[in-house]
Amino acid sequence: MSRTPSTPRWRRAAAVCVAALLSVGTLSLGTARPSAAEVAGENVKVALTSDIDTFNPFLAILATSTGILRFQYEPLVAWGTDNEPVPGLASEWSATPDATTWTFTIPEDRLWSDGQPITAEDVVWTFEQIQQNEALQAANGGLVENVEAITAPDPQTVEIQLASPQASNPGAEVPVVPKHVWQDVDPAEYANDTDTVGSGPFTIASYTSGQSVELKANPHFWRGAPKVPGLTYVVYRNTDAAVQGLRTGEIDVLSGLTPAQFQSLEGQPGITTSSGAGRRYTAMAINPGALDKDGNPLGDGHPALQDPVLRTAIFTAIDKNQLLETVLQGLGEPGKTEMPTVYPMYHGFAPGTEEVTFDPAAANAMLDEAGYERGPDGIRLDEDGEPLRFRLMGRNSDPTHQQMADFIQPWLADIGIDVEVSMVTPNQVNDDSTLGRYDLYFTGWGIGPDPDFQLSINTCASRPAADGSGATSENNWCSPEFDELYAAQHAELDPQRRAELVKEAFSVLYEASVNNPIWYADTLEAYRSDRFTGFTKQPEETGVITGQNGYWGLYTAEPVATAEGGAAAGGEPGGLPAGAWVGIAAAVVVVGALAVYLVSRRRGAADERE
Amino acid sequence: MSVTETAAALEEERPRGSTLPRYLALKGGGALVSLAMVVVLGFFSFRVLPGDPAINMTRGRRVSAEEVERLRAEMGLDDPLPLQFLSYLGDLFRGDLGVSYVYRREVTELIAERLAPTLLLTGTAALISVVLGLWLGQKSAWRRGSLFDKTQTGLALVFWSVPTFWLGLILLLVFAGGLGWFPTGGMVTPGTDPTGLARVLDVAHHLVLPVLTMVAVVYAQYLMVMRASVLEEMTSDYLTTARAKGLREDLVRTRHAVPNALLPTVTLIFLTIGGLVGGAVTVETVFSWPGLGYLTFQGLSAPDLPLLQGTFVVFSSIVIVMNFVAELVYRVLDPRLKAS
Repeated sequence: MSRTPSTPRWRRAAAVCVAALLSVGTLSLGTARPSAAEVAGENVKVALTSDIDTFNPFLAILATSTGILRFQYEPLVAWGTDNEPVPGLASEWSATPDATTWTFTIPEDRLWSDGQPITAEDVVWTFEQIQQNEALQAANGGLVENVEAITAPDPQTVEIQLASPQASNPGAEVPVVPKHVWQDVDPAEYANDTDTVGSGPFTIASYTSGQSVELKANPHFWRGAPKVPGLTYVVYRNTDAAVQGLRTGEIDVLSGLTPAQFQSLEGQPGITTSSGAGRRYTAMAINPGALDKDGNPLGDGHPALQDPVLRTAIFTAIDKNQLLETVLQGLGEPGKTEMPTVYPMYHGFAPGTEEVTFDPAAANAMLDEAGYERGPDGIRLDEDGEPLRFRLMGRNSDPTHQQMADFIQPWLADIGIDVEVSMVTPNQVNDDSTLGRYDLYFTGWGIGPDPDFQLSINTCASRPAADGSGATSENNWCSPEFDELYAAQHAELDPQRRAELVKEAFSVLYEASVNNPIWYADTLEAYRSDRFTGFTKQPEETGVITGQNGYWGLYTAEPVATAEGGAAAGGEPGGLPAGAWVGIAAAVVVVGALAVYLVSRRRGAADERE
Repeated sequence: MSVTETAAALEEERPRGSTLPRYLALKGGGALVSLAMVVVLGFFSFRVLPGDPAINMTRGRRVSAEEVERLRAEMGLDDPLPLQFLSYLGDLFRGDLGVSYVYRREVTELIAERLAPTLLLTGTAALISVVLGLWLGQKSAWRRGSLFDKTQTGLALVFWSVPTFWLGLILLLVFAGGLGWFPTGGMVTPGTDPTGLARVLDVAHHLVLPVLTMVAVVYAQYLMVMRASVLEEMTSDYLTTARAKGLREDLVRTRHAVPNALLPTVTLIFLTIGGLVGGAVTVETVFSWPGLGYLTFQGLSAPDLPLLQGTFVVFSSIVIVMNFVAELVYRVLDPRLKAS
């Protein structure tokens, strides 16, 4: 009688939607998977909480990628468990007394993971590629800048001729690639993420972007093959989920925990937590009157801050120990110079340096004596009668910055200084600090084992041009005394003497009160100690397991199981875990019930059709 | 826009009758204009972001001033803005979204890789929430004021107001961390390479919690709109006629009231599906789903301009295309629009 389509339109539309979805699903499920030689269940599974840019060692910049590449490629000279230079591809090396010619010896037992011998030719080829091909300078161009010529007098010897004397080892840090693989590809385009050939303890077997990286043990690694079949890096986009993954045994090692997460994992069965001394300093910097490379004023720093007495008074009013205890829950070390404790050679003050310690009364006295009178509202006035009112900038991506500011604001109010706090994006902080558009700001740098770079960005020559282009300086600060010390350590071959010069240079920077390290935060890690053991920390007693200047932590890992004569606790056999089946069964039941219900209804409806 | 506002807007937008080609041209033209605006906006808005990509990418590494300048030239950041815009437009017409600064790969390639997981997640979630929302919505309307109606709308509105991130983390804590029923993240169990049915099951297993989170948060809007539009039909004369014919109450609802109430709802569905894709960012972050959302987030750090432009254009295109589809579907569903 009336309009009664046998299949209502909306049902047809729904059917079309389902079909479309299924095809999308299959499309996604069918995406190419790299074929990897899997050794199921036994790899050390490491959470990967930051991003990977590329595994091409000439282009990789992000710390996660370069960190993984440290497992794959030995440089000529590696960093030991105490961050000291140790043999890598080269077993020994020497420099001429003027530090311009360096000679490296590669023993004959060094092999690539495919069994081919590693020779001086590979090293020369790698260095020359970087020198000659601009596209390959992205990652390590700066490391070979001072290299004038590199030659291989014989297959086991590499000679590096430098343009100017250099005490930091030119064979450190540059990943050497196998010429026999790379000469047949375009090195600037090669992804280097499937069945790769390397010289380190593990090589990359496969990479699924945004999901996981598989590394397999290199049987030819010269220090001996690892005791685990490989590493699996598992992508986690938030550490809270990764903490759960560690609890359930989906991952074995996790780094980058917050203090709260760290404490929640302490004492959990099968899990060991490790608070390792970090490589990073966190500081507050004060704009000392930034100048560009030609000596012209840069930015808009408060002119009163050009007075070193005022800057020192500000640092004297800050209680680092309190910040460390409350903001970091004590998981770190109070800062001295920019070199953290993990580099004992370079950490600490030069003799005679005056350390700024927390003392609000002294800070007030300093300011009184310097003539900063308090105004009617208690805020001190500068020589023009303007109140001392400063901006304090921090990163909104780092909650500790706001927390520190919450303490520092009242502390500075106590000495008659008004602070206006603003938390902005990291990029904004980079822009403003480069161009000197700040009064006070929180900063921090990760420090490598060789101090030369960190010193270099404090030299007068490192200051940018007026528009911010050119070099990037740490503080846009300039001191001839510092530059002299920098130049002296740069060419000093005697390690002891060089360390003294380095400490002296950092102490000069410290005493200028432009950048005062607050703390060296610990790196908080946790691992499944019921599954793996033997992780070597860097430095050995106090250091970190992952994110090392090298491969020690995971290279020395070994399974626990063998000793206990059985499968490791929490180990998963191949296939889906039991819980998965419960979940799937529940889903099937629900879908089934729904289907039965719908079908029965349609039958009922059909009976009554008009 | 709230649920009711959307519905109201839809009422006003209900197109007038016209011939099919004219209709297509009109709607298609509108979509193209929107797309063109997205393309322009995508270029200029990201250039307002603070941060010099060349400086940010070389920060903390030993690079000379010349290298920074060379990098800047390589990225085309040296050229005047209008010139950069023209080359961006030219590339876009050839389907080239440029090379990512950070990943050093074609942006189209990067997006293609991540688009399928995002569509799988949002598609599944959309399908389930639409079916669930519509079904509960018409039931609730029919029995308005009943206990069923009150609990269902109440529950849906509670989930609707819960922050996605929070709900996701709670589900993760309970069902993945605590009970261990589901994995804590990802799309495929790492270290395994299942094929065929095993792979489908593995992906489905990973899909449960993220889909559940998305469904819980969005199904309320379908429920509420469906409920409102069924209520609107309830007093119509044709329902009285249907009852007079002796039809069961259930049939009156499913055969007569629901098809008519579906009209405004369908448009809403397609409009929101476009938004869902962009809204998946949070869920993807909580459950480490390898989709587009996280890629965009990463792009902001450099800022990786080609990548940001690319994802922006893709996200916006999905919304625009979905709106266009909504117009077409509406025409199919409502015969009145076909009469010219």
